[in-house]
Amino acid sequence: MINVSGLTKKYGDKTAVDDVTFTVATGRVTGFLGPNGAGKSTTMRMVLGLDRPTAGSVTVNGRRYRDSPAPLREVGALLEAKALHPGRSARDHLRWLAASNRIPTSRVDEVLALVGLEAVAGTRVGKFSLGMGQRLGIAVALLGDPPVVVLDEPVNGLDPEGIRWVRTLARQLATEGRTVFISSHLMSEMALTADHLVVIGRGRILADCSMPEFIAEHAVSYVRVRTPQRGQVADLLRGAGAEVTPVDDELHVQGLDAAAVGELVGDKGLYLHELTLVRSSLEDAFMTLTSASVEYTARTRTDPAGALR
Amino acid sequence: MTVTAESRTVELDPRRNVPGTRPGFSATLRAEWIKFWSVRSTAWSVIAMFVIGAGLTTLICATSAEWLASAEADESPGSFITWGMLLAQVTAIVLGTLTVTSEYGTGMIRATLAATPRRGSVLAAKAVVLTGTLFVAGTVTAFAGYFGGNWFFANEGIGITLSEDGVLRSMLGSGLYMAGLGLLAAAVGLLIRHTAAALSIVLGVVFVVGNMVVLLPGAWGDWTAKLMPGNAGSSVATPRPFNPVLLDAWPGFAVFSAEVAVLLLLGYLVFQRRDA
Repeated sequence: MINVSGLTKKYGDKTAVDDVTFTVATGRVTGFLGPNGAGKSTTMRMVLGLDRPTAGSVTVNGRRYRDSPAPLREVGALLEAKALHPGRSARDHLRWLAASNRIPTSRVDEVLALVGLEAVAGTRVGKFSLGMGQRLGIAVALLGDPPVVVLDEPVNGLDPEGIRWVRTLARQLATEGRTVFISSHLMSEMALTADHLVVIGRGRILADCSMPEFIAEHAVSYVRVRTPQRGQVADLLRGAGAEVTPVDDELHVQGLDAAAVGELVGDKGLYLHELTLVRSSLEDAFMTLTSASVEYTARTRTDPAGALR
Repeated sequence: MTVTAESRTVELDPRRNVPGTRPGFSATLRAEWIKFWSVRSTAWSVIAMFVIGAGLTTLICATSAEWLASAEADESPGSFITWGMLLAQVTAIVLGTLTVTSEYGTGMIRATLAATPRRGSVLAAKAVVLTGTLFVAGTVTAFAGYFGGNWFFANEGIGITLSEDGVLRSMLGSGLYMAGLGLLAAAVGLLIRHTAAALSIVLGVVFVVGNMVVLLPGAWGDWTAKLMPGNAGSSVATPRPFNPVLLDAWPGFAVFSAEVAVLLLLGYLVFQRRDA
């Protein structure tokens, strides 16, 4: 269990994390979702006591991280895959970590096998691919068999098989009763892994809810109508209580389902060229939610049809 | 799109793994020891110290023995018997710097502090491992240089015995001075966090500035020269310094130690406060 309360981090006059409060519960996967630069990593570093909060506090299992007698046995973290010396072997890296918290050395080979790195245990990590580095990072996180696991962008650099492996692992850890806290900037990834979502943008919490709640609240759906008699149809549907938004040559209708729209229009003998139910994806819901808070935006036209998945 | 169902919560004691007491300083020390010796730069630095320190001492003794034994010699053999250590200093500085800056350069410092959040312990363990290694390596190197060089001196009839004034002290002093230099470099590394910058500063202060201030005029210049860390600290590492202006062995080493302690304290304070 991780409790974040009123957490704030300022760098000069720039606020990276702004009065953030949330709880990461045991026995489920909590996704920490936000665009790059939203404050995810900064928050995670403060959880681990690496960065000093400007205000607020974080506790893990009821106490500050640095007050734990053997933090690696209590919290396992993957922070950045690059927190390694390129000249040291994977086994040596795990060996010194194990020694620091009096974790039996036998556990080193166990976690190496668990992440599939036994064959390269003696290889210097500078020769590792991004994916292998990431696997080693996960081995580090699991070294102390910790009840709390914090993974910052664990699927970065992994191939599809590796991504699925992390997903399964995260679910399994949660089922074992552990607290699993995973950050990502990919909604699609979180949709498959997380039970609970904490969405952050520009250092503020934008949503803190279960995945079904998030879908209900943020994934909008509407009926797309194409007709040569736009004005008449719009008036008709509005008269029936729908919310109608003209977009280019289409009408986006909310508040009526496709069948009702078709029947109303048919009764009046008007023409329909298209009648489609459009459900926006979680990705779109996430984009809409965070669009105001994205720090660097590339101007690209997104295709609304791509929303159908 | 799949939404996974809420998993069944299994009760897991969050502290089931966690001992009631801290693993203690010996665990931190052991971790730093493994870390220190599991990168190649450590072994190379120590080998380089031995080759440069013992090798150059032997070489200069071999080439100067005849002149030192002659009537025209105006230097003492005691000034030559640890001569190679003057250059071997570089390896101690490199090792000391890397011990700290390689962690910052690679981001490893975050793994270190996540494993051992008490930063004072991390710094103390690093200091013990570094100074222990450098003291042993420095002393062994100085002895090897003595035995190598003295063989040529003895051939010319100007051999020095270990019991002679300051000889044994300079052997152990070489180890002490190397350990101190390593610690000095580590402290600067902690303040600067950048390998190249920290190395340039320490090498510059010890080798360049230290030798240039000797040229400053007057009593003020003399004292500046005496108090420069490389000048104050190196007296203990040689039976008879070339430069008679320098402080005596132990007073000099005390000044040097104080300088190292101040830098280390500064580094510690910054380390405690800084985000990793």
